[in-house]
Amino acid sequence: MMSKVKVLVVDDEIEFATTLAERLNIRGFETTACFCTEDALALIHAKNIPDVVLLDLKMPRMDGMETLEEIKKYNPTIEVIMLTGHGGGIPLVGADRKKFSPFDCIMKPADIHELTLKINQAMAKRQASLNKGEGT
Amino acid sequence: MINKPGWIKRIFSGVEDYHRTMTSPERYRRFRRTLTLVMIATFLIPLILTTMLSYYTYRSQMLNNLRWNAESATKTIEAFLSELQTVLAYTVNEHTYKELIDQDNLNKVYHRLKSHYPGVVDLGIIDHKGIQRAYAGPYELLGKDYSDRECFTGATASKIFIGIVEMGYRKVPHFAIAISFFNQDAGQNWVFRSSIDATTLDKYIDKIGAGPTSDIFLVSRKVKPLLQSTSQQYGPPLSPYPFELPHNSLGVTISEERGVWDYVVLKAVSYIEGTPWALVLLKHGYLYGKDWSFFKARLFFIVMISTVLALLVILQITKLFVGRIREADEKRESMMAEIEHTSKLASIGRLAAGIAHEINNPLAIISAKTGLIMDLLEFSEDFKYKKKIGSEINGTSNAVERCKVITHRLLGFARRMDVSLESIDINSLMREVLSFLDQEALYRGIHVDLDLGDSLPIIESDRGQLQQIFLNLVNNAIDAIGKDGKVIIKTRQRDQSSLQIDVMDNGKGISQDIISHIFEPFFTTKDSGEKKGTGLGLFITYGIIKKLGGHISVRSTVGVGTTFTVILPIKTNLSRRVHDVESKSTGS
Repeated sequence: MMSKVKVLVVDDEIEFATTLAERLNIRGFETTACFCTEDALALIHAKNIPDVVLLDLKMPRMDGMETLEEIKKYNPTIEVIMLTGHGGGIPLVGADRKKFSPFDCIMKPADIHELTLKINQAMAKRQASLNKGEGT
Repeated sequence: MINKPGWIKRIFSGVEDYHRTMTSPERYRRFRRTLTLVMIATFLIPLILTTMLSYYTYRSQMLNNLRWNAESATKTIEAFLSELQTVLAYTVNEHTYKELIDQDNLNKVYHRLKSHYPGVVDLGIIDHKGIQRAYAGPYELLGKDYSDRECFTGATASKIFIGIVEMGYRKVPHFAIAISFFNQDAGQNWVFRSSIDATTLDKYIDKIGAGPTSDIFLVSRKVKPLLQSTSQQYGPPLSPYPFELPHNSLGVTISEERGVWDYVVLKAVSYIEGTPWALVLLKHGYLYGKDWSFFKARLFFIVMISTVLALLVILQITKLFVGRIREADEKRESMMAEIEHTSKLASIGRLAAGIAHEINNPLAIISAKTGLIMDLLEFSEDFKYKKKIGSEINGTSNAVERCKVITHRLLGFARRMDVSLESIDINSLMREVLSFLDQEALYRGIHVDLDLGDSLPIIESDRGQLQQIFLNLVNNAIDAIGKDGKVIIKTRQRDQSSLQIDVMDNGKGISQDIISHIFEPFFTTKDSGEKKGTGLGLFITYGIIKKLGGHISVRSTVGVGTTFTVILPIKTNLSRRVHDVESKSTGS
């Protein structure tokens, strides 16, 4: 039996993060919710490596792009799907940011079926990366 | 700021008002009228002043000349009379009263005088009672009683008396000169009287020779004056002179007179001292050999020609000037309106995106919560209201979905676009767009005509964005027609740097009050029926066209149809535009 896909939802909207985590759990994912980037990074550094991170783009103190960078530096096989509440897409400014691109970017409010599809695709990509021997 | 006087404000109100309100034809008409009046006044006032100055200088020279002529004539007549008086007095002083009342002696004196002065008609010696005691002359006047005649009473009272020209006993026009003497032997006054032929005055006056356009004559100083010498205009002596004489008896009085010639002549009147006469000089405005009325006519003609020419020039200049100002104003106003419109739309766009962003987060929570409820319902056992709750939650989800469509489209307007430039043949792009809408048009009985320009240049732009623009415009055209109509899509090269694409329909048209709002968000006329609009289509289209460096405008006539005109650059510096948008959107 395949182990559950580990999903980390990072969003400062607590209601949104917890509800989304619950919905994903219902759909068979092993989901954890964090309400700030610091907690999320602390969790990852504590070796609780998620397969896919659903990351809000706009958050206080450290924004989604910086967090993405941190995650990717720590473990490039972790796939990150950005969730955005505005139409600006991903602000690709600077060469470094392009190096750490997210798996996809989905606009809020996201459709759950679209989201689960993207998570599964991201998981497939991570699996492929792991098989190639990337990451730690 | 210095307060301008009211009249300056009124003159320039046409210009200043421009900044306050829209340009109106009435304002330009008023401005043109005022400008014309000011220019006419500026031109006419100096012209009239110069003309008046010339006229009055000329007239004053003429009047001085007339005055001088009248004074000179008066002096000539006074000199003649003075000489006559002196001669008469001298002649009498050579003899005593006794000698003179002797008829022979008086006849001798008479003949001697007559030989020098042919104008002397007769001589008479009148005693202190007024009876003519001796008489030398052609008439039978010896013994005549002069006691109540002016010549006797006047001379007795003031030594010398000159009478007016009259017929008297002699029945020919003459005037009397009477001189009073004192007879020392008898201790009584007596009077020496001489009659002078009135034609003598004519001869003297003829000698003065005031010129061919003048009439000079003497009149009696009476309320109803009589001519004392011949006038060219009023006839022989003793004819009535139809005008009153001036009251001022000093110097020369000049006035105008409309005489029997029925035109105005200048009149100089001067009283001759010691006589009952006034000299009248009439002049037909003659100066330096040039006719006065010709001078006036010429002056009037010059003024009229100058005025007409000036009016024509002023009218043309003001028309041109005001026209140019109006043109410039309208151009500026239209530019201002466009800038205002663009900036308004940009502000609305930013505002809409901001609101959409803020709404999106709570919307996401609602969506997640309703989704969770649906999930829980799905995995829970049946209970009494399960179906009902499911249906309500579904309704909520649908409402959230509708909100999501709106917020996503709003965000799409302001979104930073990853513009991918490629070479595009606009004609083939139009054909592609139409292929999406063929079925819809066919179903509604709408004929779509492609009027595509030949050999149009390939443009550099974003294919996806262009498809979205024209899909939206053609879709709108189809909606405007409803059923059975025609859509024409026309492409052509506008100039060296741009293409123009017209999307025309013969639908119901857009009224003027609506047309100014159609690029604003949430403005829709599709408020009923199955195709309810969000009011974002043209708003987004406008935003995309601007980002691609193009321009969109609309013309419409209600009941005739609507034409959307899109102008696209053939080459545009899109990289700079994308960068600009990026730097603005970063941090939002």
